[in-house]
Amino acid sequence: MLVSRHARTILSVTTRMLGPAADAEDVAQETFVAAYKALPGFHLDSKFSTWLYRIAVNKCTDALRARRPDAISLDAEGDESEAAFETADEETPHWELEQAELAWELDSAIQALPHVYRESFVLRHIEGLGYDEMSAILGVHRDTLKMRVYKARGLLCQSLAHLNI
Amino acid sequence: MNDSEQLVQRFLDQELSAEERVRFISRLGRDEALRQRTLELEQLLLGVDQLPRPVVPDDFVARVMQRTASPQAAAPKPATSWRSLADALWTPRTFRWNLASAGATVCLALLVLGTVVIERSTPAPGRPATSPAPVAATVLVRLVVLQPNARTVQVAGDFNGWSPERTALEQISGGAWAVTIPLKPGRYEYMFVVDGKEWIADPFATEQNDDGFGSRNAVLDVRAAVGAQL
Repeated sequence: MLVSRHARTILSVTTRMLGPAADAEDVAQETFVAAYKALPGFHLDSKFSTWLYRIAVNKCTDALRARRPDAISLDAEGDESEAAFETADEETPHWELEQAELAWELDSAIQALPHVYRESFVLRHIEGLGYDEMSAILGVHRDTLKMRVYKARGLLCQSLAHLNI
Repeated sequence: MNDSEQLVQRFLDQELSAEERVRFISRLGRDEALRQRTLELEQLLLGVDQLPRPVVPDDFVARVMQRTASPQAAAPKPATSWRSLADALWTPRTFRWNLASAGATVCLALLVLGTVVIERSTPAPGRPATSPAPVAATVLVRLVVLQPNARTVQVAGDFNGWSPERTALEQISGGAWAVTIPLKPGRYEYMFVVDGKEWIADPFATEQNDDGFGSRNAVLDVRAAVGAQL
């Protein structure tokens, strides 16, 4: 039951960290398998979600380290194993296309962030976590995390300036 | 990072005091560059907020279960009886209630039992009036919880794919929250979600299940109702 409850959250983290590719789903599954194995060591000294996030972030880091740099693709359109995303409720195909393009640009820009900035930005702005919880997950001082988030915001603005957003 | 930039970043993180916020907003009116920077960052965060969430594939849970059942996945060590007893005694629970709210919740639990509405289907044409009505297809179940300090309360369980955003409770009087859900007969596990963040067990569920991850799900056993004979 806990897998069902947290699947969407963990898949969101791995997808934003690794890109909409098959290994994001694989890493999400590995997160739950690792959690199951490590369960005897979970002593309720943190929230379960914090603990699960920590495992997911570590798994993503491991996956990124295992990738060859030239194997990292920013071209989601060419990826046959694209993740399925929820679609908005708007009416016109043109609007949908615009939104899809914007989302793709934003996703690509997030993927291009240096790893430590990306993980901080994803936890802060995609998962909506506070700095204290992020500190518990990443084991980094909250002031350091703030600077990473600030830096990530600035880099994203720069890379998306051509979109006038 | 200069002072202006840091001010904008703190504003975005809602970390400015009330006085600082007033000064910042006043400054936005005078400082074009600051205004543009703030708008740029706000628009970025709006775009991020609107990013679609990935959809969990239907077989995701099944594949995780398969992997945990494989020989490579080590099973958790069985707890000793002393450990189980210690956990049962000392594992912190996440529900909050005091004597007054416990009493109120008992009353509400009785209200829940009293307000389960059974759908009765009408006899098919031509069927003798004395024959029993068919078993009801769905049962309306009313879930009630006492959370006077909550801004939102939702419920997540087997009946809604564990997605709390699908089933919000409405605030009724006295700090109580309630929702009526049509359910087919069966067993359902669920938890309440307070303010979108805190998952709590239903303290007055007649049955609870340990989900193996440190939480307890309430169990709802919905029985089919049979119409009375006329």
